[in-house]
Amino acid sequence: MRLFASSALVLSLLSPVYAVFQDEAYHTDFHHALLGTPQEHTTFFHRPQSVSKASLLYTLSEKGILGAVNPRNGSLVWRQVLGDGLPPTNAFLRAGEDEDAVVGAIGDHVSSWSALDGKLVWSNVFGDGPARDLEVLELEEGKVNRPAKDVVTLFGTEKGVVKRLDGATGDVKWEFKDQSGDLPYQVSSSATSIYYISLHPALIKGYKIKVTTLDALTGAQTGQYTLNTDSDVTSADLILFVGSNAALPVVAWTDPSHKTLKVNLLGSRQISTFNVPSESGERVEKIILHAPHVINSVPHFLVHYQSPSSHSAEVYHIDLSAGTVSKAYSLPKLAGKGTFSTTTVDANVFFTRSTQEEFVLVSSASHGILGRWPVRGASLAIDAPVHGVSEVVAKTGSTYAVRSAVTLTSGEWQLIRNGDFDWSRPEYLAGVVAADWAELEEQKDLARELEVEGHENVLSAYIHRVKRHLRDLEGLPAWIQRLPSRLAGSLFGDHNVIPTDGLHADSFGFRKLILVATENGRVLALDSGDVGKIVWATTVIDLGPGKKWDVKGMLVNGDAVQIRSGTGEQVTLEVLTGKVLQREPAKPAKVESTAIIEEAGQLSLLSIYEDETIEAPELIGEGTVIVLQGKNGNAKGVQVVPGQKSSVPVWEFAPPAGERIVGLTSRAAHDPVASIGKVLGDRSVMYKYLNPNLLLVTTVSDAQSTLSFHLLDSTSGNVLYTASHEGVATSRPITSALSENWFTYAFWADVVEGSTSATSKGYQLVVAELYESSIPNDRGLLGSRNNYSSVDASATDNQPHVISQAYRIPEEISGMTVTQTRQGITSRELLCTLSSSNAIVAIPRMVLDPRRPLGRDPTPAEAEEGLFRYVPTLEFNPQWIITHKREVAGIDQVITSPTLLESTSLVFAYGLDVFGTRVAPSRQFDILGKEFGKVQLIGTVLAVAAGVAILAPMVRRKQINAQWQSP
Amino acid sequence: MVEQVPLPPPPPQWVLDLDSKPIRKSKPASIPDPPGYVAGGTGNTKRTKQTQQQQRTPPTAEETNQLKLKKAWELALAPAKQLPMNGIMMYMSGNSLQIFSIMMVFMLFKGPIQGLMNVNQVFSRFEAEGIQSQMLGIKLVYVLMQLLALGLGVWKVNGMGLLPTARSDWLAWETERLPLERAIPAFR
Repeated sequence: MRLFASSALVLSLLSPVYAVFQDEAYHTDFHHALLGTPQEHTTFFHRPQSVSKASLLYTLSEKGILGAVNPRNGSLVWRQVLGDGLPPTNAFLRAGEDEDAVVGAIGDHVSSWSALDGKLVWSNVFGDGPARDLEVLELEEGKVNRPAKDVVTLFGTEKGVVKRLDGATGDVKWEFKDQSGDLPYQVSSSATSIYYISLHPALIKGYKIKVTTLDALTGAQTGQYTLNTDSDVTSADLILFVGSNAALPVVAWTDPSHKTLKVNLLGSRQISTFNVPSESGERVEKIILHAPHVINSVPHFLVHYQSPSSHSAEVYHIDLSAGTVSKAYSLPKLAGKGTFSTTTVDANVFFTRSTQEEFVLVSSASHGILGRWPVRGASLAIDAPVHGVSEVVAKTGSTYAVRSAVTLTSGEWQLIRNGDFDWSRPEYLAGVVAADWAELEEQKDLARELEVEGHENVLSAYIHRVKRHLRDLEGLPAWIQRLPSRLAGSLFGDHNVIPTDGLHADSFGFRKLILVATENGRVLALDSGDVGKIVWATTVIDLGPGKKWDVKGMLVNGDAVQIRSGTGEQVTLEVLTGKVLQREPAKPAKVESTAIIEEAGQLSLLSIYEDETIEAPELIGEGTVIVLQGKNGNAKGVQVVPGQKSSVPVWEFAPPAGERIVGLTSRAAHDPVASIGKVLGDRSVMYKYLNPNLLLVTTVSDAQSTLSFHLLDSTSGNVLYTASHEGVATSRPITSALSENWFTYAFWADVVEGSTSATSKGYQLVVAELYESSIPNDRGLLGSRNNYSSVDASATDNQPHVISQAYRIPEEISGMTVTQTRQGITSRELLCTLSSSNAIVAIPRMVLDPRRPLGRDPTPAEAEEGLFRYVPTLEFNPQWIITHKREVAGIDQVITSPTLLESTSLVFAYGLDVFGTRVAPSRQFDILGKEFGKVQLIGTVLAVAAGVAILAPMVRRKQINAQWQSP
Repeated sequence: MVEQVPLPPPPPQWVLDLDSKPIRKSKPASIPDPPGYVAGGTGNTKRTKQTQQQQRTPPTAEETNQLKLKKAWELALAPAKQLPMNGIMMYMSGNSLQIFSIMMVFMLFKGPIQGLMNVNQVFSRFEAEGIQSQMLGIKLVYVLMQLLALGLGVWKVNGMGLLPTARSDWLAWETERLPLERAIPAFR
């Protein structure tokens, strides 16, 4: 306890501020809290409270995130991560009517959440394979005296298991196991029984739809019949629809060529066949069936036929008593893509048709158009709608109001109210796979002109300059015009606000473009100076459904950004506009990774192919070693043979037997070092071991639960240092960062019995510093030499002196980055992503000093260095949390960039959410703070000036009088 | 018509007595002066000193030179006398960089440097024929003493950490050792 108290005391003394006040936060940072692109079958409007009419928009997205969005403004009400990396097609989300619960299933995990606040009601994991279907039982018996409606689920890939789960606890009430080996497909419920639909493989090809009737109360099989559909249903995706409940107990399917539509009413063997309309002869490529889910709605459904250039729809009615299905009316064919959504108001069913031009509302009963709204202000005109959900409100008379949440092809989620754009959520940002900074060079033209002047002779350069200055005068009126507003902004405004007129850099370099590539093939530019606003978005690659863009390299090169895919395809876009400048086709060899080469001031992005050959090796200078991870997983250094296209391996690092390499870390490309030594309290110097070619290799042994870090010189492959840990959870994230002359890593370890070294249980953070020698004022073996070769025979002797310390940390760190500043004078901060608390913490480097005195208080000399007593527990000070109260979920990567101010570093985090901020590790020492009273200063100057103006004549008169009146 | 004003009457005797001091009577040798009484100390000291000097025989040139040398020695050794006091003051003021200690250190440097610059001026009034060689020695001692005082200042400045004596003071001029080879990461 005393340790905690003392560490807390020390940390409180350390921190430059005592608290982060609310008005100090959220000025410079931005955050897009995202869900991922919504899926059609798991998105709906639902009323969380039966007493209130207000409804929320629920979705279980492609990223496996369950969330509720306020349809009024598009803000996120709550979200929960259900499944990470699981196939989203096997995700289900249902809400019982008038119930405060949404039930989701993804993988073999079923959970129920409070619809209002997203709190977990229950969660259950079953070992019967992934969930195939989930329905909320709207049974009469379920309504009486029951806190929550029961849920029926279907699990399994080969052997179907139907389970009825208690709606309040998630416990299994009964289960039915299908031993026949048929493919489980779906479940459906009626008032008394549950239908289990499975696919029975036919002898030659195709499937027969098998319907098994189960008793809702006991789960006992009461009947079974098979439909002879094997000629039509050759694959499972030809089944269009299985009605989920008694409102529409039908099975609908089509044939592979989409010529006929066949419908079977569950419980009867009769099959109704309808012809798919094909007047124009155009092939229908997709048939979608839209039907109401509400139990007491009229049994009408809509079939949507989508052909490549147009779409149409037909509405069918079911006569439940006669057991017949009949076509009621058809909706006209319209060009382009369209979506339909079904809404139930009481028992009436409405269909909302949305196209890129307009929204049309029809009733299921008749083809009369109830409302028609042209689309205004939405980007629907650019991106076609993919799917949508609607809410219909019947107003007085026969007027209606419709609001539709439409998902566009771009992945954007928009709410359109009566055709008017309401809000939009950039859900495509949820899958950022690569990001880079692009400088907005205000002075780019000036730099070019200056270069011209530098290369000309004196006279012509002078003329050039005079001409340039005369040209500059054009901008003078505008500059003068801007002056008052600039002054006023500087005096009274928030100094964090950057003028955002046009894409110009600000004077501090805070404003940069963040170019991001998303997994659905889009490239966007975010403005770091304007709270992450999307400047432009371009769809670059049209990927097939379910495919992700495999970005291997991204390079901002002057005005253009190059993005290289795994296929070798390269797209070059203009940084400021997003215009595609150039497109290089895919290459036969698969790109494994990319390297950024700087040769003669020119940056180029080179592909490293799967067979470890290098694209354009002539660009690589002689003696340059390319570090890559080989096919066998080993770390490898290869060199290009001069005059040849091939490369030869220089060194290869194979981990010890039983171990595998899980991570490679190198120093950032921009990692300047301000001082080459560390000054101790007695003014002697510990010289830093500075090697830009350091490589930190992480290896683990899953069998022995050991973790090793090997520090290599990546030009020679010499191992400089090795550290090992026992009892490590190798499946948990093991992260590391390398900068300047230090590296850190974090992992989870357990106590190991009988270990020779001290072990402890918990998350640990280790920091190690490298010095040239253990003795102060000593530069090691190389002495005062100002260059060295790592491939010399003597180089192996030049080992760094390493000191390290370990800390117990409260949480798992899933990612590490180091802040970057322009010259490296400012002390660094270690940015750690905390995946469990959805935050990013910036740990000051000063706290992570391995020279902190152990077991004693620091001597005065050590205290002068800023060292304080080592405590084994490192608590994350809440002031270090740079995300403040924001929940920044699913962060994969954090990137940093220096600004023109030495004190400040820009931070951008991406993954699921997108977050950006500015950090000043040593406080903002080079900029006037907000608390600096500019108004007071000017006021004082003015007051003094006024005083002088008044007193000066008085004093002058007095002096003159004194001269005259003196005797 | 100017009326003749009669002359004022002569002042009375008591006025005259007040204006002029009474004539000193020669004191009998047998009666000693009371302790503490200095003859002629009642006001006309200047006159009496003049009379005394007039009475004393003027010193010879050699005597003057001796006197000058003596005075010069005193002056030459004066800085040394201040050393212990300065030392204590410097010790007491501490090694932290504060306005007072900085001012004291400045004074410590200012005195000796001024003294060193004005050596000849300081001793100019003692310069005389025949003692030039001796004066040279005295000046040397004076310079030495000033250097001692300066040394104290240097010691103090060193204590304050203002002298670039440590390795860390020259760190900024040392260069990073550059590798001859270059490695480019290509594993991301």
